[in-house]
Amino acid sequence: MSDFLQNTLDGLAAGASYALLALGFTLIFGVLRRANLSYGPAIMFGAYAAAWTSLNFHVGLGVLFAVMLATTVLAGAYVERLAFAPHRAGSAVAAMVASFALWMQFEEVATLVLPRHLYAFPALYEGGPLPLGALTVRVEALVMIGVAIAICGAVWWLLYRTRFGAAVRAVIDNPIAAGLSGISVPAVSIRIFALASAIGAVAGFLIVTTQEQVTPMLGMWSTLKGLLAMMLGGLGSLPGAVIGGLALGLIEAHSQWYLGPQLRDFLAYFLLFVLLAVRAPWMNTRSAS
Amino acid sequence: MLEIRDLVTAYGKIEALKGVSLDIARGSITCLLGPNGAGKTTLMMTIAGVLKPRRGTVKFQGEAIGGRTPDVIVARGIALVPENRLVFPSMTVLENLLAGGYQRRDDLSADIERLFGRFPRLKERSSQLAGTLSGGEQQMLAVARALMSRPKLLLMDEPSLGLAPLVVEEIFRTVAELHRDGTTIFLVEQNAHMALKVADHFYLMEQGRVSFSGNPGSLAEDEVIRRAYLGA
Repeated sequence: MSDFLQNTLDGLAAGASYALLALGFTLIFGVLRRANLSYGPAIMFGAYAAAWTSLNFHVGLGVLFAVMLATTVLAGAYVERLAFAPHRAGSAVAAMVASFALWMQFEEVATLVLPRHLYAFPALYEGGPLPLGALTVRVEALVMIGVAIAICGAVWWLLYRTRFGAAVRAVIDNPIAAGLSGISVPAVSIRIFALASAIGAVAGFLIVTTQEQVTPMLGMWSTLKGLLAMMLGGLGSLPGAVIGGLALGLIEAHSQWYLGPQLRDFLAYFLLFVLLAVRAPWMNTRSAS
Repeated sequence: MLEIRDLVTAYGKIEALKGVSLDIARGSITCLLGPNGAGKTTLMMTIAGVLKPRRGTVKFQGEAIGGRTPDVIVARGIALVPENRLVFPSMTVLENLLAGGYQRRDDLSADIERLFGRFPRLKERSSQLAGTLSGGEQQMLAVARALMSRPKLLLMDEPSLGLAPLVVEEIFRTVAELHRDGTTIFLVEQNAHMALKVADHFYLMEQGRVSFSGNPGSLAEDEVIRRAYLGA
């Protein structure tokens, strides 16, 4: 029983980071109806900028976070301008392929600046895990869960309680009608990219400070986890993204325990396959229009 | 008020508008009639900035606005009630109205109350999601949303499409009221009989061109209907 609870707790912590990645992915997908493959690589690029800063200057975690946040947001805006703004009315495939090209760009630049496969990153918290009854809980996990709850609340407030949020939801509902209502769709789009990138930067910062390392794989890893969580929760739904992220974390933690690490990733993909095959009711399996 | 000259809008190689010229006089109700595929919706979408013209000019109050983005066109004082209404289905009725007044920085509550007075059904359903409204209610909402920007020129693309006769009459009553309150109206309509009753002036469009322009009465109604529907 305590194993089960421990795995659940660990799964929730990992799931909180997936939920944030999926939330950023879904904001972009909702507004543009396009998958941004460069979402994770932009986060990786920000993490590399922070790692480079950490190697060359003696600065604290706060400065590293600021560097990562600023770099990721700029990288996200760069992706929007180059890959998505030119194809706003055009082909979704062209935009996706363009975002893949920028992914390669980010990886190339990052590995040119920091060529080793792995770089150490300062730890978020130096101490060990805290006891919680029969269980233990890492401070990093508590921070991750707390931050995820705070960000989800802030995004909800932004979308449902502000003028800008109403404009975002209007664009998500119908971009043409939003334009006809006087909402500038390009302005909403670039801001959503910046917001989604900022959310990704927060999640990525907590991940690299927990793992205490960065590798170029962080980009692909973030894109895959974000996409998978977004699809599990039903493409394009914000609450679904959060639930999908938590579900993915729980599935991984339990399948690793019961089936072993080899089958850990397999189970999540297999579940997605089954859900798509049976057209689970919450999944947006209608053809995109 | 609105001057369109030699307007060409194309989808790829296919020109949907092949050089359209027309004028809308301030304070008028102008109707645009024509068979399906004549380019009426393309013309509306081009004026509203959703589609970019390939050639030609659109002037509004003396200013060239052709090719500007939809939010700029709204800022200049033109609002379009689009074909098929296009309300925001997952937003409430009230939120739809607020979105319609997105560019305004002043207090919107007086306008909302006034529109609720005009469309009492919308008031009853103000916190309901727009996607759950009936077709007629969605049309009322689309009109009200467009009015939230306080347009000088209101474009309406087939507001009676697919609606019950009683609702159509309500829509046309609204059009007449808006006109009386000083809004200039440019209306695309399939219902030629209703359209000619309210219009000061009408244009017939066929195959991407304006084929006739006149006042109601300058062409027998059955002739207008024959050309508007059969394109002959």
